[in-house]
Amino acid sequence: MSTVRFQLFFGFLGEKALSFFEKLGRYFLDIGWALRNLGTIRYYARNIAGQMVQIGNNSIPTVIFVSAFVGMVTSVQSAHQLYVWLPRSVVGNLVIKTVLLELTPLLTALVLAGKVGATITAELGSMRVTEQIDALESLAFDSISFLITPRVLAGTVMFPVLTVIGDFVALLGGLLGASVVTHIAPDEFISGMRDSFLVSDAVYGIIKSMFFGFAITSIACFQGYHVEGGSEGVGKSTMQTVVLSCLTVVVLDFLLASVLL
Amino acid sequence: MIEIRDIWKSFDGKQVHRGLSLDIPEHETTVILGKSGGGKSILLKMIIGLILPDSGTIQVDGREVTTMAYSDLRALRRKFGFLFQGAALFDSMSVGENVALPLRYMPEQKKTDITARIREALRTVGLENTEDLMPSSLSGGMRKRVGLARAIVQTPPYVLYDEPTTGLDLGTADEINLLVNELRDRLGVTSIVVTHDVRSAFVMGNRFAVLDEGKFIAAGTADEIRTSGNEDVRKYIDSSLPMQGEAP
Ligand SMILES: Nc1ncnc2c1ncn2[C@@H]1O[C@H](COP(=O)(O)OP(=O)(O)OP(=O)(O)O)[C@@H](O)[C@H]1O
Ligand SMILES: [Mg+2]
Repeated sequence: MSTVRFQLFFGFLGEKALSFFEKLGRYFLDIGWALRNLGTIRYYARNIAGQMVQIGNNSIPTVIFVSAFVGMVTSVQSAHQLYVWLPRSVVGNLVIKTVLLELTPLLTALVLAGKVGATITAELGSMRVTEQIDALESLAFDSISFLITPRVLAGTVMFPVLTVIGDFVALLGGLLGASVVTHIAPDEFISGMRDSFLVSDAVYGIIKSMFFGFAITSIACFQGYHVEGGSEGVGKSTMQTVVLSCLTVVVLDFLLASVLL
Repeated sequence: MIEIRDIWKSFDGKQVHRGLSLDIPEHETTVILGKSGGGKSILLKMIIGLILPDSGTIQVDGREVTTMAYSDLRALRRKFGFLFQGAALFDSMSVGENVALPLRYMPEQKKTDITARIREALRTVGLENTEDLMPSSLSGGMRKRVGLARAIVQTPPYVLYDEPTTGLDLGTADEINLLVNELRDRLGVTSIVVTHDVRSAFVMGNRFAVLDEGKFIAAGTADEIRTSGNEDVRKYIDSSLPMQGEAP
């Protein structure tokens, strides 16, 4: 009895693992194909511009909103944790470090994993179930290059841009939080920021966001492109995209910190 | 010439095709009749390599489709127009852009030429001045006709129609029938038509093939099919018998 259950359990695990690795393999094949066709981009230039607007411009309000609050809360909490005998300008040092290195890139990515990732999966998924992807192929289009390449490219380019915007807004938010809530003089805060500002920190955050943008858009495209099972399948894949891309982002965050810092 | 040989296909353990074989002669319209869920749409998709059979071969102009490299497959697909059962219009694009898509990357085409061809294709399906509408604002029958315009706009040598007249009123269906016949007679197009509309089938078809239980149980001219002694064949065409003797 127990050996049967034992076998069933490991059989189940084995099947899950196999289908996971099969899916992973297919992911790398598809995304590899999408990247290999970067050279023929002139055919898909029109799509890239549209996707940059869709992924980039349309996310700016969300990014501004999130970053402003991230900056404010960082400075309020830093002030709260500070020993009384430290100069108040240290809050500025802390805010600029955490915002540039970690908080803006990470939180922007997590929020956009929901917004951008879900949009892409739902869009490509409904194209799959209504046979629009088959129709593209029947018209002799390379559907992966036509649909996936521009989205992944736009994500990889626009996430860093959004992060730069987010960085500025978060620092302003930090300044606001510091002066309004914790009554640190703006010039004190700014001098603190200036003391510990490193270009390399900002660059590191921007590089990270490129990886995040690539990961989120490529996962979302893959998930949408291979939807099965009608509109129910679209909903399921969309949910999976959000979960998968958030997990991937935090793992990547750790790996990149270990390698690049 | 399309040669389909011994095609087997199953989905999740459900056997759909059990050794299909059929020749599609050139410059003629072959009508495929068969039960709903019998695997007709799947067969059309196999012919242009959108779905692979589990076994069997499909040759188009002497070249094997099922093992073809992707770049060759794309070249082959340019010879085909394909009308999907659900029209499969791109809903992010207007009607005009949908119809223009097959022409988009043909560098030798001039821009004005393309506009004229789109207008002409839409006119032949009875949808003048609809270029700027979005697919979501069209009725089912209109979507079908836009799909048809998209399939024939580049006047390919082969056209595959999946239910071209289903859901259309008799008058519009007749116009579509005439259009298919005109493409064959004027341009020598080779067509495969999948349909449940037996009336249209006998107006359009030169040849007929009956798909039953995963196999073609009969193939031949209208008269051969009509006089078939096979009960299974007759059940697909019984409703058309009053038309016997009428010229199309
Ligand atoms: N992607 C798929 N996954 C699983 N089963 C499928 C898939 N596509 C088709 N099938 C099954 O294959 C069978 C044949 O489908 P097909 O669409 O070819 O039927 P059909 O002859 O065109 O029917 P209809 O006349 O109703 O359009 C159906 O039973 C369908 O359930
Ligand atoms: Mg069908």
